[in-house]
Amino acid sequence: MNLNYSEEQTMLREQIQKFCESEYDFYKREDIVKSDKDFDENVWSLFAEQGWLSMPFSEESGGFGFGPVELSVLFEEFGKALVIEPYLSTVVLSGTLLDKSNYSAKLEVIEAICSGSMHVSLAYAEAAKSYEYNSPSCSISDMKLNGTKTLVLNGSNASKVIVSCLHNNELALAILDTNADGVSQNTFSTIDGQSCSEIIFENVSITEEAIFAVGEEANTLLNETLNLATLCVGAEAVGCMTSCYLKTVEYTKGRDQFDQPISNFQVLQHRMVDMFIESELAKSLLFKAMLEVDANSDEKFKHVSALKAHVGKSGKISAQDAVQLHGGMGVSDEMMIGHYLKKMISIDALFGNADHHLNLFSS
Amino acid sequence: MDLNFSKEDIQFRDEIRDWLTNGGYPEHVKYKQDNDEPLTRQDMVDFHKAVSAKGWMGYNWPVEYGGTGWSPTQLYIYNQEFGKAGCPPLLAFGVSMVGPVIYTFGNDEQKKRFLPDILEFNTWWCQGYSEPGSGSDLASLKTKAVRDGDHYIINGSKTWTTLAQSADWIFVLVRTESTGKKQEGISFILVDMKTPGIEVKPIITIDGEHEVNSVFFTDVKVPAENIVGEEGKGWTYAKFLLAHERFGIAAVGASMRELSRLKDVVKEINNPELDKKVAEVELSISALELTELRLLSALENGGNPGAESSILKIKGTEIQQRLTEIFVEAAGEYALMYPGAHGYGSNDKPSGPEFAAASLSKYLNMRKTSIYGGSNEIQKNIISKFVLGV
Repeated sequence: MNLNYSEEQTMLREQIQKFCESEYDFYKREDIVKSDKDFDENVWSLFAEQGWLSMPFSEESGGFGFGPVELSVLFEEFGKALVIEPYLSTVVLSGTLLDKSNYSAKLEVIEAICSGSMHVSLAYAEAAKSYEYNSPSCSISDMKLNGTKTLVLNGSNASKVIVSCLHNNELALAILDTNADGVSQNTFSTIDGQSCSEIIFENVSITEEAIFAVGEEANTLLNETLNLATLCVGAEAVGCMTSCYLKTVEYTKGRDQFDQPISNFQVLQHRMVDMFIESELAKSLLFKAMLEVDANSDEKFKHVSALKAHVGKSGKISAQDAVQLHGGMGVSDEMMIGHYLKKMISIDALFGNADHHLNLFSS
Repeated sequence: MDLNFSKEDIQFRDEIRDWLTNGGYPEHVKYKQDNDEPLTRQDMVDFHKAVSAKGWMGYNWPVEYGGTGWSPTQLYIYNQEFGKAGCPPLLAFGVSMVGPVIYTFGNDEQKKRFLPDILEFNTWWCQGYSEPGSGSDLASLKTKAVRDGDHYIINGSKTWTTLAQSADWIFVLVRTESTGKKQEGISFILVDMKTPGIEVKPIITIDGEHEVNSVFFTDVKVPAENIVGEEGKGWTYAKFLLAHERFGIAAVGASMRELSRLKDVVKEINNPELDKKVAEVELSISALELTELRLLSALENGGNPGAESSILKIKGTEIQQRLTEIFVEAAGEYALMYPGAHGYGSNDKPSGPEFAAASLSKYLNMRKTSIYGGSNEIQKNIISKFVLGV
């Protein structure tokens, strides 16, 4: 047994930490949130230069062949700095799905993703299908796609979209250009400062090559991709939880009331200890989940669900406590701490909330 | 022992219900409240003026100052019915905070000058208490008022000032003496917001709303006659005021209304976990309601519940927060989208449940309730010290 990160993984973490410290402070992030695109072109180019956009792709596709452990390291650090760049959407949800698929033109798309020149989104969700991703209403018949997808992360910046839909009564995955005839979208803000879209497909022409997976193959691709993405946001939540307790400890040490730092009060100490314990437990569940996914074991879904259920509940409580212990400053939009709470809400909402994953874990 | 209200109290309740449903509660305000739309300053003024016209503004005032002279039970019923009807909470700053301080400690001149305008809602008051360095430890406040002939010159800053951007007047705790104990040397002074040297800067909260502000005082010249009571006795008045603020803080009526809205929402979802969470919060509301009634009963029988009322603040705010948490969970995936505090307006709306955006807004907004008015940790200290005696 060895539960230590390798030297390479530790270097990756340090590299990301250094970037977040020097290039991605809270004020920079706020500027990006307020911008039209909800991401920063320069930051994205830096991601490309650092090789982070190529990280999880197979070497055959021009990637580094890194796995779920490295992705978790990246997302944990992203969580600490509340990075909002659309990595999850373009690289994890879309890129890794294509990488594992038999899509004939995948190399070109992945190359464009790696270079930072293209965004791709995965349209997996539909209204009134809460967390049921394998039986969409969107469908292709007579080679025309019809239907509406919702909560498409980063949809407005994507030039291609992968759509889960029914084709000959089977689940299918199809890729198309977002500027194709018959595609329209409305974009909305997410609670954590990103954007997502509702995309409407009206008689959109689809070619045979564009339908790159059907039936069992499509189900497996979709389930494994969503599982990996769930692991990533779970790791992001672990990063948030770590920052929540660290920042709260720092704040209470510096905040004097009744002629002493409020960190002197035992009731606050215990609250912070609880936050610390919960973050350590979350980290442990992350280890379990990422190693099961890495081993491609039969239990990989179950343990990702354990992580997601835990962070959905205790991560939210930690962030709420962090806000509480910051007092009025906690609810001020100018302080970073309240934004961890918003991030935790968005993470819990994505890919199934705490109750949903607890049910999956127990079944 | 009898859990039922007396015949008179039931008549009183029916009179309030009648006013709320038959034209008293302004239609346009009701519409916006029922549809989670933001209220303008004018909406708030209209609502308060309507309450005032009915003679119910001085709900906690004695008759001699134009108040209703209601019993604690009547006051409870009033609060609960307004909450259940979904009315905006009555602004406490004038009628519930500064008003009682003025009629209890102010001079005749001040009573004549300020009380009628509070009852008629001609002046909108805000509260200058917290400072950047003085939150839970309010007595450490540093905003200074220095006597200069017939005036005081105020310098310093206040923070978390709710709706200062709408206010005409502010009551301010200032330090008039810096030697001795920190609780001594504090004075309570009334300041016209139009006085030169006052600057209001918005603080945007995590829900994206502009509700609270920083208020800066730079050489603000205030007539000495605006001091309430004695110079240096402000801390006594401040504590008196906070005790008044406690009433209605349980917000049982408002929580009952949110509960019934929540039940409508979860009924459509068919999720046993959610049903259980709703049942748990309903149980808590029931326990809180009876706790408030027991405290009322003690009050009516000449008792002094005192520090026990901190239970109402703690549990009341926990319940308010819990309700919003379950709403957000009920929104499922759609808790991801958030248009900001004022909803989607006339823009395209996403296809998710209607309640999702407002739920997030309330969830984020309600985080403040366990922080303000003496944080829940401070409330627990109060119970520990004055009830448990440890």
